[in-house]
Amino acid sequence: MPKRLQFPLFLLRKLLKVAFTVWVVTTLIFFLIRLMPSNPIEQYIQNLVIQYGMSYEEATSRAASLFSLDLSQSMFAQYLEYLKDAVRLDFGTSFLSPGVQVSEIIAARLPWTLFTVGTGLILSFIVGTALGAIAAYRRESWYEPIISGLSSFLSAIPDFLIAIFLILFFGVFTWWGRGSIVPIFQLRGNYGAGVNIGWNWPFIKSVLDHSFVPILTYFFSQIGIWVLLMKGSTTGCLNADYAVIARARGLRPRKILTSYIGRNAMLPIATEFAMRLGFIIGGSLIIEQLFVYQGVGLELLKATTNRDYPLMQGIFLIMTIAIVLSNLFAEILYSLLDPRIRVKGGSKHA
Amino acid sequence: MNTNTPHPTNTVPSASTVPSASSVASENAKGAAMDPRPVLLDINKLSIEYRTKRGKLKAVHEASLRIRKGESVAIIGESGCGKTTLATSIVHMLPRNATISGGSIGFFPEGKAEIRLEALPEKEMRAVRWNDIVMMFQASQSSFNPVAKIRTQFLDTFQAHNPEISTDDALNRSRELLELVFLNADAVLNSFPHELSGGMKQRTLIALSLLLDPQLVILDEPTTALDLITQKKILNLLNSLRDSCGFSMMFITHDLGIVTQLADRVVTMYAGVVVENAPTADFFSTPLHPYSQGLLRAIPKLNATFEQLYSIPGSTPDLVDKMDGCLFAPRCAHCHARCLTEIPALRQTDNDRWVACHLYEEVTHGAY
Ligand SMILES: Nc1ncnc2c1ncn2[C@@H]1O[C@H](COP(=O)(O)OP(=O)(O)OP(=O)(O)O)[C@@H](O)[C@H]1O
Ligand code: SF4
Ligand SMILES: [Mg+2]
Repeated sequence: MPKRLQFPLFLLRKLLKVAFTVWVVTTLIFFLIRLMPSNPIEQYIQNLVIQYGMSYEEATSRAASLFSLDLSQSMFAQYLEYLKDAVRLDFGTSFLSPGVQVSEIIAARLPWTLFTVGTGLILSFIVGTALGAIAAYRRESWYEPIISGLSSFLSAIPDFLIAIFLILFFGVFTWWGRGSIVPIFQLRGNYGAGVNIGWNWPFIKSVLDHSFVPILTYFFSQIGIWVLLMKGSTTGCLNADYAVIARARGLRPRKILTSYIGRNAMLPIATEFAMRLGFIIGGSLIIEQLFVYQGVGLELLKATTNRDYPLMQGIFLIMTIAIVLSNLFAEILYSLLDPRIRVKGGSKHA
Repeated sequence: MNTNTPHPTNTVPSASTVPSASSVASENAKGAAMDPRPVLLDINKLSIEYRTKRGKLKAVHEASLRIRKGESVAIIGESGCGKTTLATSIVHMLPRNATISGGSIGFFPEGKAEIRLEALPEKEMRAVRWNDIVMMFQASQSSFNPVAKIRTQFLDTFQAHNPEISTDDALNRSRELLELVFLNADAVLNSFPHELSGGMKQRTLIALSLLLDPQLVILDEPTTALDLITQKKILNLLNSLRDSCGFSMMFITHDLGIVTQLADRVVTMYAGVVVENAPTADFFSTPLHPYSQGLLRAIPKLNATFEQLYSIPGSTPDLVDKMDGCLFAPRCAHCHARCLTEIPALRQTDNDRWVACHLYEEVTHGAY
């Protein structure tokens, strides 16, 4: 196989796999909802009949228009219709707020979740890998046990406890007779009341104020993992033959730490990071709930408690796509970083 | 081969002939060697300890040996006798829990003043590594950084020692050496390590090791990961390069066949102590130390490996224990009263030959 074709073909194969996975999940969502013992659509229809005294036909047509599906069609025809819509990211209208497109709701919530969870992830990744590398290089320092101990601790406690602690720390406790560090109302919602939404400083400041503690929560709930992963990975590379021989070759310690140990230690970590990117979209149900942060996670929670099936379908599907794509990204990243993977699938002696 | 006779003169036929030859030698044992080549490395009474949970482990105890310019010295001895420890101490790459507790390592590079390696600060040691002394480690499977091209790794090496050299010059020199070890230079330079076979990698490593014209190459069982035929090829290659490039070689091996082929001199270690140091031919024809005799008797053929050596009764002593007397005494057929109380010193028996055993006290003169 010619070398220059290897990568495009690799990508094509992977993309087909992504498409297949997404299709399977989409299909699963469709049939799960329809084949559940208490078919939610049927239940909704019943609900309308009982609560609002509608006739069954009336209720059915109302449900059909809400879910944008034709219930008189065969299951297979409905499925095709659903697929066609899903491809266009059209999940119908929400059930809770009739008339509003599910995709609109998601589009409105997504930036908030991406911003907070993403910032927390990136910051924890940067700080965590740096600390992890330091902990590995300076295995015999006095601060290594502190770094490792704190990391193990942070990675072991559930994120909602971190959130509650931070809420208490920043918003409830008073310090030296002065008030709390952050006014408690800033720990609820995405921005303060009475600011004009747009690119103006009061709004941006309000957004930053409100997102600070949630971001800190995401940061602390993930940093431990990065430290421990990076420490383990770096320790594994410290005594690798090539690192020892690099020293025997008289290379400078800094060079060995970056080009020889660091590069290799980053391989599995970078992949893990890429994979976690996919989970950003789902947000965190509990954290967003605790901070009443209007993100995808909170929306999903609302959709679930209110049985807003179209919205649930939409969010699940978006999450699936994001996770599958980030897995693909991780694979591509790994193959770019590690020449040993790069040749897979191609001829070895190209 | 002799059967196990308790009488020393029977097992050591050469012992009686030693005095006449050695009486000619000067009273200064160190200067008595007939080998005219200048000394490159002089290890003198070197002791190395490991800090362990059980206490201090004396991995190397007052070891002395010399390597001359162009000479090839083999270090042999059972697993755990301190060969790797001794070799790695030369370039200060011992594990963190190890310390050189005594002795000296003098290095006499051509045209330069003596360098005392045992006390050299890390920064200066870095300049010695690979430039003057190359150390290749035991069982290194992946000597090269897996994520960088061979070319980068050759250039890194120049960069560390000679940053002024232009990339073109550095690459030309790299190509020269890769061709010397019969590799397709450009193909190898543009490869990643995993794209090379084990033998190719080993040859690439040899080319890399000669890049800066070292004076001493230390090999710790360098080829055990390779099949036998490739092993022989690599070692023969190294030997011919030694002739053409003029470096000295110190190699550790468990393969006595390799020793007969490649070594000018054999140093036998037992439990951290150098027990015998002899020219290869003399060592194989008349091993002096009872341990050496055991080693040679234990193998039916010279090219057999140490795996068959476990027929020497008993096992190696615990190196954490305090030593009094000869460490080989519990396993020695010639052990006598003196052996249990007095540690035998490494003494010269011949112009160029040393042994540490009380049996030879009367025929030796001068400690190492
Ligand atoms: N890092 C260490 N910490 C403590 N003890 C060690 C360490 N490395 C080696 N030793 C001990 O020092 C002694 C000598 O070890 P060394 O590795 O030098 O043996 P060797 O002759 O090279 O053996 P082999 O033929 O198996 O490679 C052994 O008893 C070993 O247990
Ligand atoms: S000194 Fe050691 S090797 Fe020599 S005879 Fe005595 S016990 Fe044996
Ligand atoms: Mg060893």
